[in-house]
Amino acid sequence: MTELTRNDVQIGSSVPFWAVFKRELALYFRSPIAYAIAFAVIFFLSILFNGYISQAAGQAPAPSGYIPSILTFLTFLIAPLLTMRLLAEEQREGTLEVLMTLPMNEAHFIVGKFLAAWAYWTVLILLTVVYHIVLTQIGVPDLGEAFGAYFGAWLYGGTVIAVSMIWSAVTEDQIVAAFLGAATILVLYLAEIAAVALAGNGDLSWLSGFVRELGFQAHYDATLSRGILRAEDILYFILMIVVALFITTRIVEIRRWRS
Amino acid sequence: MIEVENLTKSYGEVVAVKGISFTARPGQVTGFLGPNGAGKTTTMRMLTGFMPPTSGKASVAGYDVFNQSLEVRKRVGYLPENVPLYRDMSALGYLTYIGEIRGVRNVKARAMDVLERVGLGSRANSHIRALSKGMRQRVGLAQALLHNPPVLILDEPTIGLDPIQVLELRQLVAELGRDHTVLFSTHILGEAEQVCDSVVIINQGSIVAQGSPTELRSTLLERGGRVLVRVDVTPELALPIIRDLSSVAHAEIAFDGIIATPKSVEFDPRPQIARALIEHDMNLMELRPLAVNLEEIFLELTRAQTAQPNQPVEALESASEDESA
Repeated sequence: MTELTRNDVQIGSSVPFWAVFKRELALYFRSPIAYAIAFAVIFFLSILFNGYISQAAGQAPAPSGYIPSILTFLTFLIAPLLTMRLLAEEQREGTLEVLMTLPMNEAHFIVGKFLAAWAYWTVLILLTVVYHIVLTQIGVPDLGEAFGAYFGAWLYGGTVIAVSMIWSAVTEDQIVAAFLGAATILVLYLAEIAAVALAGNGDLSWLSGFVRELGFQAHYDATLSRGILRAEDILYFILMIVVALFITTRIVEIRRWRS
Repeated sequence: MIEVENLTKSYGEVVAVKGISFTARPGQVTGFLGPNGAGKTTTMRMLTGFMPPTSGKASVAGYDVFNQSLEVRKRVGYLPENVPLYRDMSALGYLTYIGEIRGVRNVKARAMDVLERVGLGSRANSHIRALSKGMRQRVGLAQALLHNPPVLILDEPTIGLDPIQVLELRQLVAELGRDHTVLFSTHILGEAEQVCDSVVIINQGSIVAQGSPTELRSTLLERGGRVLVRVDVTPELALPIIRDLSSVAHAEIAFDGIIATPKSVEFDPRPQIARALIEHDMNLMELRPLAVNLEEIFLELTRAQTAQPNQPVEALESASEDESA
């Protein structure tokens, strides 16, 4: 495996995305923002959860999709905060120039960063499982529904992170990246409403189905959040991640070639 | 070994590098010299695989920079201008990160080795944001040396350093030149003269001269003819005398003296100038062909190219910088 041996330095094979992933994940947990996001989310959810519990008392089984659904809605605030820094900062500081002259494919770099943000999201979701534990204490929640909802929220988060990361590649300004990320996520979140409006419009009704399928909610709200695992929904989220990462990679490449 | 052939880079309308060709040999420091905006950084970015050339060819360590970019990158250590680093990491952490991506074995030990080599062993665990400009520069250099590459590309590594740090860095670059191919860009001409075995002078995207500092000097002496005159009175007094001489076509004040251009290259005006000045009771302090150091060669070459009487501010600045040093 050792190639290019000069003096005492040995160069072996490397998995660059793993190094990028480790650095980025460590950075989340060293910066106050990760803790601030986690605290805000948990705090907000606990207030809603409390109200929800007192309202839903006596219902059986207790709907497990409540907390994951709120989490998916909150992604439009959370994901841009997680992704705005990832590439914008590297472009502004010029550190991209060193990274992009290392023997590493851009894709490793992008995927490593994406996985770090997604890992943070995973931790956040795991923290909210505590609400489900509370539910099991006071009612009989459906385990399959819970699994579907949480698994769906996990996939949903990954997709939203990948989509909002595109903007971090487009601009060097973190605030702009966050704002555009949030806007894009909201548009995709609300696509279902647009689809309904389009369906009522004679000329454009043919677009309605497409717009609906493009949005996040069509693949989460009615299916995954109720524990229904459909291959097409899972495929939708995976495809969105792959396409978004591909776009991000291309943007980084094009910006580099023009810089 | 770096071989560049007809390399061109354009951004839309603007041509930043216009078909340049040069070779940087192993075991030598090749100076890449030119004012800011001459195309040095653009060329280096093409050589390191950061951006593709518009046309032309370049190979580094035997691999084509465009088609075999990954192989080139394995063999190049690159220190970009302005030394971009992650401020939130320690020097050791940063080098470990880069080393892991490069696949360096025993990366921590190797990172410590290079930090020692650049004299930062004791600051390995300091955050980069807490390091001085000179130290950061050395962290950047350590990054370039980490995988012991055969080729080093250093973009203005001495910029922003204090005089002692500049001397240390030049010495380090000269040492590295013994067993590496080093391409080293600078806009300070004295620096190139001191450190480099070979110099490539670039201005406005084109190469205006290349060769060893000695070669460049003699070429210009042959081509030249222009002479520098210094007298013990203000040059304004001597100017009309020199101007009126039959062998002098043109004279002007520069470098605290007078630069005289002869009417014909074959005819050396120096004896006539010397006689005339002494006849006018002026003491001749200096009388020599121009372009004996790189500053003057550079001014000569860029003057020929831009055909403007005013020198670029950049070059004048570096001239005075060198004088005061």
